[in-house]
Amino acid sequence: MALTITCPVCGKRNGYEFKFGGEEKGPRPEEKDLTPKAWCDYVHMNQCVAGVQKEWWFHKDGCGSWFTIYRDTTTNLEKEAGLANHQEADKS
Amino acid sequence: MFFKSKPMWGKKTQLKSSYDVVIIGGGLHSLATAYFLAKDHGITDVAVIEKNYIGFGGAGRNTAIVRANQRTQYNVPLYKEALDLWPVLTKDLDYNLMFNNCGNLNLMHSEAAMNAARMTIATAQFHGVESHLIDAKQAKEMVPALNISEDITFPIHGAMFHPPGGVIRHDAVVWGLARGAAKRGVEIHQETEALSIGTKNGKVTSVTTSRGTINCKQVLISAGGYSAALIHSMLGIKLPISVLTIQAMVTQPLKPLLNHVVSSGAYHAYANQTLKGEIATGAHMDPWPNYTTLNTAHYIKHQAEALSEFLPCLRGIRFMRIWGGLADMTPDMAPIMDGNNQVEGFFMDCGWGYFGFKSCSAVGKYMSEFIAKNECPDMLKPFALKRYEEHRLMGETAVVVNYTPDN
Repeated sequence: MALTITCPVCGKRNGYEFKFGGEEKGPRPEEKDLTPKAWCDYVHMNQCVAGVQKEWWFHKDGCGSWFTIYRDTTTNLEKEAGLANHQEADKS
Repeated sequence: MFFKSKPMWGKKTQLKSSYDVVIIGGGLHSLATAYFLAKDHGITDVAVIEKNYIGFGGAGRNTAIVRANQRTQYNVPLYKEALDLWPVLTKDLDYNLMFNNCGNLNLMHSEAAMNAARMTIATAQFHGVESHLIDAKQAKEMVPALNISEDITFPIHGAMFHPPGGVIRHDAVVWGLARGAAKRGVEIHQETEALSIGTKNGKVTSVTTSRGTINCKQVLISAGGYSAALIHSMLGIKLPISVLTIQAMVTQPLKPLLNHVVSSGAYHAYANQTLKGEIATGAHMDPWPNYTTLNTAHYIKHQAEALSEFLPCLRGIRFMRIWGGLADMTPDMAPIMDGNNQVEGFFMDCGWGYFGFKSCSAVGKYMSEFIAKNECPDMLKPFALKRYEEHRLMGETAVVVNYTPDN
C-alpha cells in the first residue's frame, strides 16, 4: 500500500522517495565493555510491531535528512507519538 | 456458517483444557509438524490453533514453487529432503498434491551472475542435487517464448536449470496434511487466537487463547510472517526479522507456453504457468516493513514491465487477480529454528522469508523430532538464533539482491 512520509525539511512526500532505516533502537551502544549480545541486539534484533512503531527514514531522493516518524505497520499511515505500541529503548 | 459445517479434514472437536503440545499457527509448517509428531513419534495429544482458518497466511498465498537450488551447505540438504518428500507425502497422505516436476530455470543477466550460478551449482552437485548451467541459446530452446536479444534492459546471458524443482498445489498440501494429522488424533482449532504464553520458573506451562487457557509443557510458534511479532509480544524475545508484504498476481488463462518455472533476479520476477493456463507471477517485496498484504500500482506496473521484456508474447495480457502475503526476512536469508533455549518447552520456527512453502515437509519432519526428543537434530543445529550473536550468519544472501531493509 502506498505511503506518504512527512520529512521535517520537505514536508509530506511520496514514500518511494525515502529509504527505510530500521526501527528506533536507542543510542548506539558504548564501545567500552560491549558484549556480542548487546551489539547483536543493536544491529539485528527487531520488535516487528504489528501496530504503531517509531522508526528511522532517510530522504534519499530529497534533502538527505535522517529523521524518525511513528507509523502504523498494519495500515502504512503516519501516527501520533502517543499511539506507539513500540517499546522505547531503555534510556538509563 | 462456513465453520459450522463439518471440517474437510475430519471431526470437529471441543478445545480441551490441556494438551501435550500446542502449535500456534495453522499454516504448513504447523500442520506438517503436527502430522509428523503423530506419525513418526506417536505424540497425538496435539492442538494446532489458528486465528483465522488453516492456510489463511503464506500457505495459501505463495506462488507454489518448490526447489532446492539454495546457496549454502546447510540449506541445500534441507530443501533437497523437502523435494524428495513430496512424492512420499502424496502416497502417505493418500491425497493428490499435484506435484508438477517441471524444473526451474533461473535466468542470469551478467557474467557476474553466471559466476554466482556456477558456485551455486557446485554446491548443489556436491549435495547430489541436479542443477546445471546452460547458455542463452539453450534457454531459448527450452522456453521458446524467452527474449534472448540484446536490446532489453537486462539481456539474458544464460541460466541455471534445476530439473528436480517445480510447482505443487499449495492448498492441496494444506488439506492433505490437515487430514493426515487429524486422522492420527491431532486437533485443529480454527478461529482461535493465541493471546499469551504462561511460564513458570523458566518453563512453559500454558497458552491462553481467545477460547480459554490450555495447559501444556511444549509450545511451538510457527505462524509464518506473524511469528516475530507474536514471539516478541508473548515472551519478549527479539528476533532479527523484518516483516514485508510480497505481492503476486495471475494473468488471464493462456494456451500452454511455459513448461518450466522461469525466474530472474535482475528483473525481480518469477513466473510459471498453472494447470489452468494462467501465468502466476510474483514480484518484489515492499521496500519497508508492513503487515498490510495489499498490492500497489507500483509493483503491478513493475511486474508488467519485467514480464513483457523477457517474455514479450505476454504484452497486452491482463492480470486477472492480485494478492499479497507476508515474508519474514532475516539478514542472512536463512530461517531461525530453535527450542528449549530461552524458555524450556518453547520452540520457534520462523524467519523463512519467502522459502516457507518449499521447506515445509522437511521442517515438519525435523521440528517434530526436536519437540519429541527435546534434542535438536543435527540438520537444524545451524539454524539456531545464537548464530547472529556469534557472527556466524549464513551466506544465503548471495542468491538474491538486498531484500531486507537491514542490508
